[in-house]
Amino acid sequence: MLTDPASRISFDPQSTGFAADPYATYAAMRALDTPYFWESANTWMLTKMADVEAVALDKTMLRNNEDFIEDGDQKAQQRAINFHDMPYHERYVQVNLLESEGATHARLRKVVFREFSPAMIARQRPAIQDFVDTLLEELCEQDEVDFVAEFAAHVPGHIIGRVLGVPDEDAPMLRHWSEEVVRFFDPERGAEDKARAECATKEFYEYLLVLLAEREKAPKEDLLSKLIVYRDSGQLSQDELISTAMLILMAGHGSTIDVLGSGLHALLRFPDQHQRLRDDPNLMKTAVQEMFRYESPLPYFHRFATEDTEVGGKLFPAGTRFGLLYGAANRDLNRFERPDVFDVGRTPNRHMAFGGGGHFCLGNHLARLDMDVIFSTLNTRFTEMELVGAEPKYKSGLSVRGPKELRICWKRA
Amino acid sequence: MVKLKFVQANGTEIETDAALGMSVMQAAVNAGVDEIAAECGGACACGTCHCVLPQEWFERVAAPQDDEADMLEFVIEPQPTSRLSCQVVVSEDMHGMVINVPDSQV
Repeated sequence: MLTDPASRISFDPQSTGFAADPYATYAAMRALDTPYFWESANTWMLTKMADVEAVALDKTMLRNNEDFIEDGDQKAQQRAINFHDMPYHERYVQVNLLESEGATHARLRKVVFREFSPAMIARQRPAIQDFVDTLLEELCEQDEVDFVAEFAAHVPGHIIGRVLGVPDEDAPMLRHWSEEVVRFFDPERGAEDKARAECATKEFYEYLLVLLAEREKAPKEDLLSKLIVYRDSGQLSQDELISTAMLILMAGHGSTIDVLGSGLHALLRFPDQHQRLRDDPNLMKTAVQEMFRYESPLPYFHRFATEDTEVGGKLFPAGTRFGLLYGAANRDLNRFERPDVFDVGRTPNRHMAFGGGGHFCLGNHLARLDMDVIFSTLNTRFTEMELVGAEPKYKSGLSVRGPKELRICWKRA
Repeated sequence: MVKLKFVQANGTEIETDAALGMSVMQAAVNAGVDEIAAECGGACACGTCHCVLPQEWFERVAAPQDDEADMLEFVIEPQPTSRLSCQVVVSEDMHGMVINVPDSQV
């Protein structure tokens, strides 16, 4: 009797082996004729670029399936995925721009899209440069640093916070709340994660209420003030305002920290590519694009089929849950030459690290700008950067990808 | 099939045969027009497949829908005859159409 090839795959996202190298597992899954069924999450995992792309672009594939299940079933499903009995999270995190579809999604996205357009984001460059310079001025006295904790972790909170209107001194709280809430999106979430996510959402909500009250009295040129105008003109409800603000603060937070760490790690693992980038700083744009492909910081999202459908050569009924493994698709040999090689000049490089379809990452230009400023500055300020000690360990789990710490030494120019 | 000509910012011309019903963005990607990043894959959600049509061709193709018009406000250096190529569907009357491609929008 023939053994099912899928049964030979050991898929355990919480294992240290997977954290060290998920790509071997992804490659084995990609080699299967049809999608891999992850039984414990009742999810069909898509790893081929063609399949991931097709589902991300399919308008009948939705982030949530509430439109075609009965109310009672919806509660049962919420319970089944452990998304119940957490009132703040249910109200402000489980329902937002990312989780909405159709007309609601279009309306919510339109409200904030302008602020994240390339032209508006480009205005942030001097502020990002200032912040990075100040941070490095303090750090460069040290011979050795943990690049993740001592540098990367400080950046996104300040920058996104500034766009939204959060004072710099509160940025560390944003990081804390963001991490606590985001960790609950991992398919293998537990009871402790749940309590922490709910607690963080409540604190975050109460913090935003105070900030909103301040902006109502004295509006500024920030996104929060603009969201108030949208709310007062009837284009946004109060709940939508809160959930949008929370989403913006969270969405690009941990993932930017992660990709800053994995991006630098990639440069240090491929010194020839690092040197190539130093020799030709005009490659920064393609280098940043490659950092997102090589170690996609948010490697996993899901969609529900709302109709019977065929994906990857197999028929699936409506209601099927699909896992879109962007991190796997971005290493697909059928789309990328030498996919496991980090190539700072890779062109074209149409990867899916920012997702695809209508939910394409709103903050992609901001994330790219952060990376551009940071790696350009590092390459100018430091003539040498090297890993210290053992190979860095990466976070476990399926929904995030980034080094827990990155100990490096550097030599000032 | 319909012949389309992409003119890149550096003046390089790429001619391609595009199938009826596909988007101009897809035709560009298939033809190796790398500046058309088309990051969202054609959902009118990213603005990175921006192209500029000559006036005479702009007038001949169907006008942008609201969502495309909204997005066009936010592309880098929009022009009066800008389009998002993912929203322009190849039709028979586009034979010989010239499409100017600005530098990458990513």
